[in-house]
Amino acid sequence: MIEAQDLTRRYGDFTAVAGISFTVNEGEIVGMLGPNGAGKTTTLRMITGFLPPTQGHLTVGGRDLFTDPVAARREVGYLPENVALYPEMRVAEYLWYRAMLEGMSRADAKRRIPEAVTSCILQEVEKQIIGTLSKGYRQRVGMAAAILHNPKVLVLDEPTVGLDPKQIIAMRELIRELGREQTLLLSSHVLPEVELLCDRVIIIDRGRIIAEGSPQELRDSWLGNTLIRVELKEAVPEAMEVLGGLAGVRAVEAVAGDGGRFVLECWPKSDPREKVFRAAVENRWVLLELTEERASLEDIFVRLTTQEEPGVPEAGEEEVVS
Amino acid sequence: MKGILANFNREFRAYFFSPLAYIVAALLLLVNGVVFWLIVSYLNDPRASIGAPLELFFGQTVYFWLVLLFVAPVLTMRLLSEERRSGTIEVLMTAPVTEGQVVVGKYLAAMAFYTFLWLPTLAYPGLLAYYGEVDWGPVAAGYVGVLGIGSLFLSIGVLASALTRSQLLAAILSFALLIPLFTFGLLENLFNSESLREVFSYLNLWQHMEEFGKGVVDTRRLIYYLATTALFLFLSARALESRKWR
Repeated sequence: MIEAQDLTRRYGDFTAVAGISFTVNEGEIVGMLGPNGAGKTTTLRMITGFLPPTQGHLTVGGRDLFTDPVAARREVGYLPENVALYPEMRVAEYLWYRAMLEGMSRADAKRRIPEAVTSCILQEVEKQIIGTLSKGYRQRVGMAAAILHNPKVLVLDEPTVGLDPKQIIAMRELIRELGREQTLLLSSHVLPEVELLCDRVIIIDRGRIIAEGSPQELRDSWLGNTLIRVELKEAVPEAMEVLGGLAGVRAVEAVAGDGGRFVLECWPKSDPREKVFRAAVENRWVLLELTEERASLEDIFVRLTTQEEPGVPEAGEEEVVS
Repeated sequence: MKGILANFNREFRAYFFSPLAYIVAALLLLVNGVVFWLIVSYLNDPRASIGAPLELFFGQTVYFWLVLLFVAPVLTMRLLSEERRSGTIEVLMTAPVTEGQVVVGKYLAAMAFYTFLWLPTLAYPGLLAYYGEVDWGPVAAGYVGVLGIGSLFLSIGVLASALTRSQLLAAILSFALLIPLFTFGLLENLFNSESLREVFSYLNLWQHMEEFGKGVVDTRRLIYYLATTALFLFLSARALESRKWR
């Protein structure tokens, strides 16, 4: 549905998107994840035809965005990050305007507007002036307008940002509902959301794709390295060496403090807790804490997108970076 | 075509929801009414030189121009700058429409509202016809001039609106562009060179209106308005497109 090759976008000297390539297949829900300023919005704007790429090749629904921009735009429904609407219009008027803008016939518009209003649960506010609507309703108006013309691809930029928790749940439900029939590309900086909604995740940072795969794949390849927190009652100088020598332990790091606390990084799928316990018994250390810390996907995301972070695991990197 | 129509409809309706448009309408009516009353009472004086009231009404008072120079920026300042400021431009330019269609749709809406603003002034020739005789040819020609010059002014306003995201800046910019355009023509007499004089006389909008008021419809004038309108709309579309290359 979407095929991006070597997409690059520069603003003056600043490179917002640096040669990213990916595909979105029909019926897939793909999440684009990255911290603010990673280049998500710029990428989505290129896909929707708002910004032309500085370099690279892009087709949507088989249409080339450079040679056939108007036709390509017809294939895309777009919900921008800050859903901007005309405050003086009524909801129904706005949807009619958008339908006409999409070049729909009056008959099509008459048929599709009630459908879109129903699927976005806007019946109650159809006659209301947009300026008086809450953020949640505005978001849904934007959504209804985006799906009016039955686009092949729906592009949603941060669809839940700025909503209250109840509205977020409603929005996610709506997205999941739409995702049953539609190809969907959405961006977010909230990881659980992407995990919840998407078949596939593309993590981007500083304009590059740094990881790609299903949430499960990402977890497997990036969460392999369990951390174990160890605390001894007294500082033992040789503890570092002993712990580092245990089978299954990849690295040891002393936690700043009294010298009795360590964090062990383990090799994937190993659990050296028992060995730590036996080592403590053998050396007559008093063990105060021995906890396994499974890093969440959130931690992985933070680690992936923060270069300064020490101890970034290299294992498996090659498999997921494209 | 649909892209133009969708933009036209939205924009034209939006005028009726904007308090500013009502202020402009009221101002235009007030000034035109006062000017008409002054002209009629002046001509009522037996000592006055003989003249047709509507000939004077079209463009022969400074008020006509002051109002026009004010109305055009105000009617157009919102058109594109507000789309960029509020971000609705993103939705607009990801719809299957071209920049040209957007610009033309919005210009036509401004033009239609401008025409609508002038409609009540039809009452003046109506009044005159009730009490005396009206030569309808010059009246019609006068309206041709009003629409032609209006079209030129509004297209400049559209361009100014495409260049900035602030409505206020857009209004100031179009005013700044309109003032030299209007005053250049008045400089005609400053030049000794015959050819220069002719150029400035060609641009003399005041003189254009004087001709229209007399009932002279010179096609050179109409071509001038159409060509400049087309030029400014073309530049507006390019300005709107420029976001892509920054």
